[in-house]
Amino acid sequence: MSKTVKIASIYPTLLGTYGDGGNVAALRHIAALHSITVSVDEISPGQKVPANADIYVLGGGEDTAQSAAAAALHASGALAEGVKNGAAVLSICAGYQILGHTFLDAEGKPSAGLGLLDVTTDRLEKRAVGELVAHPLSSGPAGISAVLTGYENHGGFTHLGSGVEPFASVTSGIGNGDGTTEGAINGRVIGTYLHGPCLVRNPQVAEQLLSWAVDRKLEHIVEAEVEALRRERLDFVSKSR
Amino acid sequence: MNTPLRTRLAIFAGKLAAAASRLAGRGEGMIIGGTVALKLSPHALEDLAQGRVAALVSATNGKTSTTRLLATAMSQGGPIASPTTGANMTEGAVWALATGAPGAQAVLEVDEAYLPRIVKETQPKVVLLANLSRDQLDRMSEVAMLARKWRTMIEENPEVLIIANADDPIVVFAAEKAKKIVWVAAGQAWTADSSVCPECGTLLTRDEKTWSCSGCGRTRPTPSWNFEWKATKGKTSATAVSPSGEKFDLSNLNLPGRFNASNATMALAACSELGYNLPKAVELMSTVSAVSGRYAIVQSGALKVRLLLAKNPAGWSELLDIMPPAPTPVIVMINSNHADGRDPSWLWDVPFERLAGRTVIASGNRRRDLAVRLLHAAVDCVVVEDPFAPDADLPESVRKLDVIDCAATYTAFQKIRVGALGEVDA
Repeated sequence: MSKTVKIASIYPTLLGTYGDGGNVAALRHIAALHSITVSVDEISPGQKVPANADIYVLGGGEDTAQSAAAAALHASGALAEGVKNGAAVLSICAGYQILGHTFLDAEGKPSAGLGLLDVTTDRLEKRAVGELVAHPLSSGPAGISAVLTGYENHGGFTHLGSGVEPFASVTSGIGNGDGTTEGAINGRVIGTYLHGPCLVRNPQVAEQLLSWAVDRKLEHIVEAEVEALRRERLDFVSKSR
Repeated sequence: MNTPLRTRLAIFAGKLAAAASRLAGRGEGMIIGGTVALKLSPHALEDLAQGRVAALVSATNGKTSTTRLLATAMSQGGPIASPTTGANMTEGAVWALATGAPGAQAVLEVDEAYLPRIVKETQPKVVLLANLSRDQLDRMSEVAMLARKWRTMIEENPEVLIIANADDPIVVFAAEKAKKIVWVAAGQAWTADSSVCPECGTLLTRDEKTWSCSGCGRTRPTPSWNFEWKATKGKTSATAVSPSGEKFDLSNLNLPGRFNASNATMALAACSELGYNLPKAVELMSTVSAVSGRYAIVQSGALKVRLLLAKNPAGWSELLDIMPPAPTPVIVMINSNHADGRDPSWLWDVPFERLAGRTVIASGNRRRDLAVRLLHAAVDCVVVEDPFAPDADLPESVRKLDVIDCAATYTAFQKIRVGALGEVDA
């Protein structure tokens, strides 16, 4: 019970353009609600990525920064080792694309991702910007049942291979780009286009990541402020349709 | 000055349209006036500029204030044409030139994305480039993309003198190819958007004063102008140091904060290049106390507030420092209308933890996002839809204050400003 959950925030200076630092803040906050002790390592490029973290978090970023982050992660190899050891990964937007086989760089040339998710990313015809609402799949992680809410802002069209399941199914917004699926999941590795930040607006996802890390079920804790925000965002989307 | 007939007629039509718009109560009519003039005479800006434009000011933050400071400093030499409303795209520039004193030197604030076009058409004597950081990513360019556009602009307009902030690596990348350049060490409090080299992507190495890139060897240029800022125990002092080592005390500026003293240093460097008397420039800049409502004290409903504007994390992060210390409560209003940016995720990039120890009145149409942000920051928060309503449920500590700081995003700020019962003390 007294295990300290190790959270590694991967290159927040490169991958944190869209407020995604809030995901780490949310993990800290929600862990405290569940009396789980966490330690957070913020890894800058040039620093060693730990292979023994329980949860890795990667956010979104601009094209140049994305390529720099991918190159550094390739060279390190620690993230793949962490995943092999059973770590959970939450990757958002540019971070999600990096976990796939290929993504497009600033010049539009395919560059190699880490291949931790069986996905490839090319370009959407029109940039996807706006509120994103998606329903978790019943086949997905047991702890994630509530509708997912967030904000997407990306030009990537992510194609899912047979080695992943969609993370959720889109009810409003674009998501991966195929019109129905949002994000991808394989085991404990999650990729998604949900900013907002994702874990702030979807505390169940944070609880699922923590639950994997402590290897026990966590009862969902409802916070009034968060519920009010979720309700307001979901109402906003249903009214503007 | 010889303005072509077509443009003169276009301006006349624009003035009619502006007057009609004013009569209809739709504001001051500048945008519509400029739009009509440009429709009828697409070269209106070029025709109106003709060597009159002394300076253009662009940056993510501080455009309006810097423009005001510079225009005020330059008024020592006669009237200056300068927009007073923050209309900073092509239409606004046309309108400022069309309606300002005829033939007067002009100082224009320019939106970052419109700068290349306006530089080309107005051929200003100097361009001030202060900072670039993330701003309204739902509709604006990402920072690196903007910097590349500025870089091309500078290469294509070699005659223009650039005055640029040596402490912002993105600005340096944008400006370094200039044939004529004056570097100012204007400081950079917000480094999150320039953690990597905009050219080669290597993580930049930073120490107290300088920065460098180990990937491509780019380093902070040696500044001609320096800026010193000290804040100890609520007292602040600011000094601008000229290339010859002459010191100018900026501590008497009426505009608050490090960033405004930094803006004044950039303006002073421009005054120097344009041949103005510098002590007089400092004296005149010190008379500026509110800029288009920013820092103005206004009566809004039942409350007297000091209005503060911030639009993005870099701006917010500096604004938090000029608020009175805890436990003085403050009002924070977050909107996500078009002009604010639709996505307030940036709230998570702002160090709101610094507000700990006081009560924050959270308002604006994204008050619930703010409430959750403050919950995580362990800052006490009361969510109030309209804090200015007579029956608003405000804590006693708020009602007791003579003046309360109200920091707001653009549309929330404008709403208070327009709806206010008048500036109590501008």
